Amino acid sequence: MNRNTAAWLLTAPALIPVLILFFGGFGLGILQSFSFFPLIGLDTPNFSAYTEVLAEDELLLSLVLTLLVSLSATFLTIALAVTAALALRSAERGRRGILFLFQFPITVPHVIIALGALLLLSQSGFAARLTAFFGIISDSTDFPVLVNDRLGLGIIYVYLWKQIPFIGIIALSVLQSMGNDYEELARSLGAKQSQVLFHVILPLMRPALLPGSVLCFAFTFGSYEVPFLLGRSYPSMLPVLVYRYFTNFNLVQRPLAMALAVLITLFLLVTVILYKKFLGGRNRL
Amino acid sequence: MIDLRLKGVSKSYGKNTVVKSLDMKIASGELIALLGPSGCGKTTILKIIAGLQQPDEGTVFFGSQVMNSVPAEKREAVMVFQNYLLFPFMTVEENIAFGLKMRRTDKAVIKERVNEILALIRMEGMGRRKPSELSGGQKQRVALARALVLRPQLLLLDEPLSNLDAHLRDEMRELILRVHREFQVTTVFVTHDQEEAVLLADRIALIFEGNLHQFAPVRDFYERPQSERVASFFGNSNFLKGFCSGQAVETELGAFKTPLTGENESGRTVSLMIRPEHIIPGKGEDNSFLCPIRSKIYMGSFIRYRIEVGEGLWDVIDGPEARKGYEEGESAWFTFPPHMIWLV
Repeated sequence: MNRNTAAWLLTAPALIPVLILFFGGFGLGILQSFSFFPLIGLDTPNFSAYTEVLAEDELLLSLVLTLLVSLSATFLTIALAVTAALALRSAERGRRGILFLFQFPITVPHVIIALGALLLLSQSGFAARLTAFFGIISDSTDFPVLVNDRLGLGIIYVYLWKQIPFIGIIALSVLQSMGNDYEELARSLGAKQSQVLFHVILPLMRPALLPGSVLCFAFTFGSYEVPFLLGRSYPSMLPVLVYRYFTNFNLVQRPLAMALAVLITLFLLVTVILYKKFLGGRNRL
Repeated sequence: MIDLRLKGVSKSYGKNTVVKSLDMKIASGELIALLGPSGCGKTTILKIIAGLQQPDEGTVFFGSQVMNSVPAEKREAVMVFQNYLLFPFMTVEENIAFGLKMRRTDKAVIKERVNEILALIRMEGMGRRKPSELSGGQKQRVALARALVLRPQLLLLDEPLSNLDAHLRDEMRELILRVHREFQVTTVFVTHDQEEAVLLADRIALIFEGNLHQFAPVRDFYERPQSERVASFFGNSNFLKGFCSGQAVETELGAFKTPLTGENESGRTVSLMIRPEHIIPGKGEDNSFLCPIRSKIYMGSFIRYRIEVGEGLWDVIDGPEARKGYEEGESAWFTFPPHMIWLV
């Protein structure tokens, strides 16, 4: 038995259930997206669910909102995570404690953070009452709308809370493995501090940051629980739209949910392929 | 081109003092080696000169200007690092142009100077390659070119040959010498390799544990070392304790005549030093002693004897033109020419 066969055989017990669950569920979802759902009498596959979903009024607004939230959360995550990593790298005293606090949000589930954001940032929340108490605003209703808002600020806030430590730790490990030599070299060659950052440090970090940013974008684009809790009901982000179709008491809506889910998956797949094609190559040093 | 002076420069990391009150003056256009074993503070000195480290005490002068508060990017002292550090995401051309781009030099000027320097390092046509496509020697040449293209006042090289194999070392050594001749730039390079320092430098600064032990022309380290440690660092040496007595040194073996001592130095305790290759097998006019031969090793182009001198063992190198054919166990005459003796 050659080594490849042995490797496949040894990993089979773990791989088979995963493949059955993933591709089985995925396959059924695709079949339902083509209105093949014998349980409720839909036994002729067709594109009607797709045409109906694409004709939906809310779809374009949902897509714009989803893109806005995902891109903003991803961009801000990268910017703030790199800033935090640079600061953490130069921290000397109490570094371990700061690092622990910095990484802590990674362990907290998104739903908990979303509920916390609701309690903290809503107009009846702690921040609103505190600012009203100190007379900064006259009434808690004057507090800016930060959750269930039009621009998805609350959603972005939660994703930042969770993703900054994740990308920050990656950025920090890259910075540490890089050492100071490249920066010293650049300074010796005449680069100012800002030039060192933009012409040396960030390009050197790019191979680690780009896949991280694609992960953040894909996750933000495709997850539903945070926008469900902190978003508006109209327009809602695409995954919430899928959830609404899926949980509708009328099972005829189920193929719409599956069609939209397939479209979201395809969009993310195309994004990853484009990233690989246009940035993945440049990523290799 | 600029002359460089370090005055009382010290640097510590925590409780560990790596550079101790260093004084050094380097003339414009000189090629200087900072030589010493690993961890002796050489690279720290280079970084202090480059402005990448601040000295705890002391002053760095470029010409008459105090440089302590001048940031690295404004010093015109460019450092070439030991492990090349080519930017992996840039091409060869982009790497070389980096410093000029940071100075916002005109694009046409950058192109012209990059092409000039590529020709100098004999890498024309390779400008669009990525560092990952270059050999170690080519990477080192690009790293050197990236510094030279800036036409710096001071060129600082950290172990420029240490990562290269023997053949590439020769090539790179020649390039450094060629570049130094052409640009006449004041150059300081760090090395732990005594041979490299001897082959390249006008003068060598020998450093042990952050202390400057001797700063002199290359020949002096071989012929006039200031201590037994310096002498031992520069090849094999034989030592014998004694005291001055007129124009000789009295030792347990007898009196060694030497022109280096006079009446007024009588009684001074010294260490008499002579290199193995300077000892002549056979009896001469002065300083000839009968010494037992403890071992004899044939080394191809020479024979190495180990002879008993007083209570110690000395090495003698006998070249092919003077082979006496002594054998192990016998006693033979050896002459220690007075003008080859040095006192430390």
